Amino acid sequence: MNDFNQMFIMAKYQFRNYIRAKRLYILLIITSIVITLIIAVNAYFGNPANETVKDTAKSFAGFSGTLIVLIALFFGGDAIASEYQNKTGYFLFPNPIKRWGIFWGKFLASFLASAIILFLYYVSGLIYTYYYHQAIPVEYLYSMAYSFIFMLSLLSLTFLFSTFFKNGAVALTIVAILYFFVFNIIDAVSQIAGVEPWFSITYAASIITLAFTNNYPHSTQYVRNTMTLTIYHPYVWEALVIMIVYFIFSGIVAMWIFNHKELK
Amino acid sequence: MYMETINLTKKYGNFYALKDLNLKVEGKGCMGYLGPNGAGKTTTLKLFTHLLNPTSGDAIINGYSVHTEIKKALQSVGALIETPDFYPYLTPTELLTMLCKIRDAKGCDVKNALKEVGMYEWRYKRVGKFSKGMKQKIALAAALVTNPEILILDEPTTGMDPKGMAEIRKLIKQLQRDNRLILMSSHLLSEVTEVCDEVAMLNRGKLLLYESIDNLNKKFMGHSVEVTTMNAIDEKSILSIDGVKSVEKLLPTKIRIDFEDEDNMQYILLKKLINMNVKVIEYRSSGMALEKAYIELIGGE
Repeated sequence: MNDFNQMFIMAKYQFRNYIRAKRLYILLIITSIVITLIIAVNAYFGNPANETVKDTAKSFAGFSGTLIVLIALFFGGDAIASEYQNKTGYFLFPNPIKRWGIFWGKFLASFLASAIILFLYYVSGLIYTYYYHQAIPVEYLYSMAYSFIFMLSLLSLTFLFSTFFKNGAVALTIVAILYFFVFNIIDAVSQIAGVEPWFSITYAASIITLAFTNNYPHSTQYVRNTMTLTIYHPYVWEALVIMIVYFIFSGIVAMWIFNHKELK
Repeated sequence: MYMETINLTKKYGNFYALKDLNLKVEGKGCMGYLGPNGAGKTTTLKLFTHLLNPTSGDAIINGYSVHTEIKKALQSVGALIETPDFYPYLTPTELLTMLCKIRDAKGCDVKNALKEVGMYEWRYKRVGKFSKGMKQKIALAAALVTNPEILILDEPTTGMDPKGMAEIRKLIKQLQRDNRLILMSSHLLSEVTEVCDEVAMLNRGKLLLYESIDNLNKKFMGHSVEVTTMNAIDEKSILSIDGVKSVEKLLPTKIRIDFEDEDNMQYILLKKLINMNVKVIEYRSSGMALEKAYIELIGGE
């Protein structure tokens, strides 16, 4: 059978597993809570109708980065590791299917499930913005497009960790620590060191909100006493390259590991 | 159809799980793969099913290397390795259908596979709640569903109750009659004797023996029988029979008789016992040939 057909079959059953395992529903509930909180906080601390249309839209786009990390953890963290930990690999691997077919099938299912959540989130923001301003800024659509690319690269990186570890919980924890702490620390250290963190995926992800700012500077320096902080803002092309490189590099390394990984 | 290992070696650090294994199984029938824990049985089967990569050498199925041409090599293979687990939210029907689709198998019959392993009535239940024995049956159904020419079974009756074990053995015997090649590892010598027609013995990663069960019986069949009778037995009268070397009383109504290695001696002895009005209610060879071969080659490990 065609390798691609096998990949789509894998994707179909993996997606079914996500639905049955209620992961998709749980994430939908979390997303609904986030949306409700954004609306409530905006309403409590100000009146969205008095803001600019960009600011209202940005209040939604601003949280999408964190949501994407959560999505990647939910759908990517144990996608491959669980095959080893739960011994489902004994059922799946001794079949005439190449490992890349299994890998990308699972990736496709994760991306589809993640895309549904992210799309609904952005549609909610779109309705919310339109309700107050009867307009949608084009920047919101750019931000949405960048979010999807960020999600793609983050899922790829998450799959790399999931391939590397044999325990799903370990993979999930490492990935969570990495996204919520390590990359943020790297970004902060780079500000102090005055080095552009072009190697950081969270740095690249900042274009999701920068999309709402026209002609932002590439770097801004703040001098306080003896300390100089340099805050970098990636160019759009630069951020896209970083994210695409993350996607390709992580995907290739993950594939290589998965191809050689044994089920002892 | 055939399966072959060519200088197959698997090494973990300084430990050889398998060393230069050369083995060719072909035609139809069942080959039992025996050895103590850590002998390299499961390692071999995992190398045949692409779960492990060889350190050197190759595992070949029908002319294709499992490691470089996985799709062609495993196309005609159904495998049950260890006790696999399944995606807990899928049903047996969905799992087997998934396999059929992945393999694009023409003769796929999900219902029949589930019936054969006695899991048909559970076909719409989610696998997550199944017991170990039930999962083992689903795993066997997964190996059978695509109607493969070659079956690789790693201790297929593990985790099953006696009834389940008997059913699975019966099924394997049936499969063997259906012109398939079966490679089955087992700890149970009686299981291999009952089900298989060839046997390979392995210890510490090395092949010690590869024989047909018939040849093995000829080579290792013991020259002693255990006899149980209705009444207490007079050992002296039995010792007087020609060819009998010794008689050992195991119980008042049970003895072991050692006799000389002569054609039909076992039959002649039984006939003479009956002629002597010994009321025999059980008469059987003392120990299996396979057991003797195992002890002789592998020892008390």
